[in-house]
Amino acid sequence: MKEEKINKLEQLNKRRKRSTLFVVLGIASGIIAFILFASGSNIGVVPFIVGIVLVIIGFGTFSAVSHDFKNKFLKEMVDDIFEDANYYPKKGVDKNTVYRCNFLKKADRFHSEDLINGKIDGVNFQSSDLRLQERHVRHTKNGTQTYYVTYFLGRFFEFDFPKDFIGHLLVTEGRLMTSRRGLENIEMESIDFNKKFNTYSNNHHHAFYILTPHLMEAIMELERRHPGSILLCFLDNKFSLAINNHQDTFEIKMFRKIDQRLFIEMERDLLVVKEIVHELKLNRNIFK
Amino acid sequence: MGIFLLSPIAIVGIIVIALFLIVVFWYIGVMNKLRQLEVRVQEAESGIDVALTKRFDALTKMLDTTKGYAKHEAETLEKVIKWRKGIPSDATLQEKQEFSNSITEAVNGLNVVVERYPDLKANTTFINLQNSIMDAEEHLQAARRLFNANVRALNHRIVTFPQSIVAKRIGMERKDFFEAEESKRQDVKMEF
Repeated sequence: MKEEKINKLEQLNKRRKRSTLFVVLGIASGIIAFILFASGSNIGVVPFIVGIVLVIIGFGTFSAVSHDFKNKFLKEMVDDIFEDANYYPKKGVDKNTVYRCNFLKKADRFHSEDLINGKIDGVNFQSSDLRLQERHVRHTKNGTQTYYVTYFLGRFFEFDFPKDFIGHLLVTEGRLMTSRRGLENIEMESIDFNKKFNTYSNNHHHAFYILTPHLMEAIMELERRHPGSILLCFLDNKFSLAINNHQDTFEIKMFRKIDQRLFIEMERDLLVVKEIVHELKLNRNIFK
Repeated sequence: MGIFLLSPIAIVGIIVIALFLIVVFWYIGVMNKLRQLEVRVQEAESGIDVALTKRFDALTKMLDTTKGYAKHEAETLEKVIKWRKGIPSDATLQEKQEFSNSITEAVNGLNVVVERYPDLKANTTFINLQNSIMDAEEHLQAARRLFNANVRALNHRIVTFPQSIVAKRIGMERKDFFEAEESKRQDVKMEF
């Protein structure tokens, strides 16, 4: 890594440290305020207000650090890795793009950010973080409580698929979350693949046409490399992949140092897009 | 409470009838499943026919294009193909396999020919046909794998007891697999 970049990272890390300090001091003030209140003293109001101000400043500073990290470092990284791609930290994939596959149930809260779109080896792609939450209602003695449960937190990808096919094909690790809607469960010839994944399609021939032995191997390899569950969808000559790894990728953490290691990890997360294109041979567009 | 009023013979009779009905329903269920699987095998076989026809059509067009550059070689390759007018309606699975093998042989031979004629290799129509034949090849592989998967599922039931009893009674026999093409396992040797 260039010295200039390392210096910039160090500066960013200093700002992160400062934000952490503000938050820690704010929490300490809160504790002092609590002790004073508990001992019956009204002076606790002062450390309480100071604490709130410090925490607000701390989170504000951290938010600015996170913004700068994404807009400067990550954007640069995207430009270095992909020849033709753009990164939008605040944008995400469209709801319809996610739901058209019918492999993820509709969320009460849909949140997507860190959109990257562009081309790799002639293959159009888009990728983003995705968080889907379901609304739950609990009735207690004190009234009704509403809370949200996250059932998907991970990454979503969409690529052009090199083969022309008809029908709808879903490959899921575990059972399908949604209704099958005319899709039949298909047994592929690979016992290992069937053990690991459920395959659903409304066109048996095209399911076998898409899922070649090589692609099945590549999907199993992809699953081995990515902890969590994966879902794949082939529809309208597009290939969509959702990896539910319970991770909010490309987010820096307040209590974690911003250094080269973090940088390398983020680079690896970005390279996943390339890895998918090459492993699954999506750039092999000989049939079009 | 009413069952206690029945005589032992009546109870035995009810149990026998219930068992008989269970067996009848099971028999019908197994028979239907076997028939459904047989239909799937037939559907998959028609998928093989479609893919073979597509491949044959692409090859015919390729040979026609080749004639403009290498007439003798193209005509020699034409003779390799089992049927000159496509798959006959009464062709057996074995014959289809042979037909498929002959097409593969011709395609491989054509790949050798094309290396000798750079003009042909650069011909756009020929390139498109090459892509189309590769796609047809992928479809054929898919159809073959689907067919074999269905045959495997059907054969599995036919040989598994007690479903084997039903299969025997309705005269259902094990089906043959559509084997991988013989010529793919061998080196290509073409002489013109």
